Amino acid sequence: MTTEEVKTTYTIPVGPIHPALKEPIRLDLSVDGEEIVDVDITVGQVHRGIEWLGMNRNNPIQSIYLAERVCGICAVSHPFAFVQAVEHAVGITPTEHAEYIRVIIAEMERIHSHLLWAGVAAHEIGFDTVFYLAWRVREEIMDLMEYVTGNRNTKAMFQIGGVRRDITEDQFPRIRKALDYYKSIFNQLKTVFLDDRTIRMRTKNVGILKAEDALKLLTVGPTARASGVAKDIRQDQPYAAYADLDIKAITPDIVTGTVVGDVYDRIIVRLLEVKQSIEIIERCLDKMPPGAILTEPKIAKLLNTLTKAEGEGVGRHEAPRGEVIHYVRLESGRETLSTWKIRAPTYVNLMCVSTILKGGQIADVPIAFASIDPCMSCTNRAAIVDQKTNKKSILSGKELHELSVEKTRKLKG
Amino acid sequence: MEILSPEEIIDGFKTVLGDSFIDSKIYEREVAVKKNVFKTIWIYVKREAFRKAVDYICKLQECPHLAIISSSDLGDSVELIYHFTIYYGRHLGELSLGLRVNLPKNDLKIPTLTDIIPGALFTERETQEMMGVEVVGIPDKRRLFLPEDFPEGTYPWRTDETGPQDMLRVLPGREKK
Amino acid sequence: MSLKSFKRALWVYHLNTGSCNGCDIEILAVLTPRYDVERFGIMLVGSPRHADVLLVTGPVARQMVPRLKRIYEQTPDPKVVIAVGSCGLEGGVFYESYNLAGPIDQHIPVDVYVPGCPPRPEAIIEAVVKAWVKLEKAEQGVR
Repeated sequence: MTTEEVKTTYTIPVGPIHPALKEPIRLDLSVDGEEIVDVDITVGQVHRGIEWLGMNRNNPIQSIYLAERVCGICAVSHPFAFVQAVEHAVGITPTEHAEYIRVIIAEMERIHSHLLWAGVAAHEIGFDTVFYLAWRVREEIMDLMEYVTGNRNTKAMFQIGGVRRDITEDQFPRIRKALDYYKSIFNQLKTVFLDDRTIRMRTKNVGILKAEDALKLLTVGPTARASGVAKDIRQDQPYAAYADLDIKAITPDIVTGTVVGDVYDRIIVRLLEVKQSIEIIERCLDKMPPGAILTEPKIAKLLNTLTKAEGEGVGRHEAPRGEVIHYVRLESGRETLSTWKIRAPTYVNLMCVSTILKGGQIADVPIAFASIDPCMSCTNRAAIVDQKTNKKSILSGKELHELSVEKTRKLKG
Repeated sequence: MEILSPEEIIDGFKTVLGDSFIDSKIYEREVAVKKNVFKTIWIYVKREAFRKAVDYICKLQECPHLAIISSSDLGDSVELIYHFTIYYGRHLGELSLGLRVNLPKNDLKIPTLTDIIPGALFTERETQEMMGVEVVGIPDKRRLFLPEDFPEGTYPWRTDETGPQDMLRVLPGREKK
Repeated sequence: MSLKSFKRALWVYHLNTGSCNGCDIEILAVLTPRYDVERFGIMLVGSPRHADVLLVTGPVARQMVPRLKRIYEQTPDPKVVIAVGSCGLEGGVFYESYNLAGPIDQHIPVDVYVPGCPPRPEAIIEAVVKAWVKLEKAEQGVR
């Protein structure tokens, strides 16, 4: 059998999240038979020029609402980091009451995002029942978010110097009721995801990322923690109310005893983080200090301060997917921001995709790619280069998904 | 790996870089009810000593975490800031470090970091296409976010004549500004 | 009014032309057991060749224009196009950006518009019902 380097192009759309969530990302996979040898990524089809809009058209307060629409799933993370960056630049300190409310909202978003991911990952393996179960369970936290903030997504709670709406004592019983519901079903969820035979077969030793690679490729979030790198901004350099609660980064050896860095470990980390979020919200409710919600309640005066301010600031937040960082620079006399740089966590985590997919099979591509929780709902065309034959074939996203489901059926016997 | 305080780190930079060290600043903030204090270090170096500064950071921490490279258009120069964090993984122990480099607009070149930090690839590619800075020695020169048919020489983050003014979308019923 | 032309319920195909995913997860939430349109037979399909309704979200990024047109042509007649979210109507908050190629109806004809950022799942269900009624009327007008 000769091994000539005859390159052909297979076009395989990688549809990791759901046939519905199609966001463009292009993966070029070089295969040798069924095994993947090399991966190349092309991004950019969702580029909307948000940083340019913030620097040329919006004043800083309007940019908060623009930052919310960077990603609809983590719609709290970007405003949180942006507001911290502006406060860092100008020298405003938010009120203590507002710091605790910010943490409560951020943790509610973490629960919603991890349950969304759990459903999508189950769908990629072929378990549609678990997909519906996870999303049904998620509706409870969406109701709670609507009760507290007024909307399911895009909540517009953040303002420079505090938050826009208050969480008062008479709202606490409703919040505690929702948290009790989650505590009561948590063990059921754990059994469904961690003890199921088929999920273990499909996810153990698939998509492994070692600790040295995670450090060199600057991976962040649960993807890095599942490989043993205990990096968590809420533990290392806390901000807002996290500085009062001692948070510990979660690594998979709490449950299994060892760290492998495969997809199963990532499921463990995300499920345990849901439990951690429930506890954090309860502690915040118990310890909330009284006070005002805004340092500067008059918007016109705030805008005046911002126009005259000069300085630069960095804001970071531990989003459900990893570290979000915003850099802001203000110039005196200029109404818009002078410089604005956003970096979402998936931007960095995409670089570890080639290491994760190498050596694996094509049928594992959906679940391995979905395990880094790409916030770009990436699907799209992936070009495969086969190094042996000269065949050209085009598989659609549906067919790739079916490949993955077929593998599950074969494993089940 | 020994843990140095911010002042000791700045002294270390001064020793290693000598004349190329321009300025430094420590920023402090107090957080929430318990009022823990956190510090951020800002260091300003000349372009010639940029790689030496990064090597010194790699000595302080084995794999420093590079969060992003941010760039600003200051009229006749471009300023790049490399946002590092070191001493992560320890409770209340992380330190943020911002390394600032100034490049004159007639000579926009900076050496690459991908040989010591492979994860810096995406952010260097973005700086190349959005600001027009040439990263010398980068292994992959392609565009990252902009489409293939975006005109060459138009840099979205610049505020001078190479900005994207001609590419803006004009709403129906309004004339072009 | 009773529905005569369609013996089975509508099949829906979803296309994202560069949105932030807010509208997309509300579309998925419509299928889950809380709002549950699958009991009426409305199903999400994986290929435009089987679809009756196109749900398009997002402001149209430049790179996505050829794909949008190709998918519209691949969908067989009779079909309805629903533009979900404010981004598809006029660009939403991104209206002046340098990488946008115009609202959706500059490239393909749109039948139903759903404003909101993101619109609630109930609004999306009402839009699909309106599209269904429009399809019915078109079918009966043809015969």
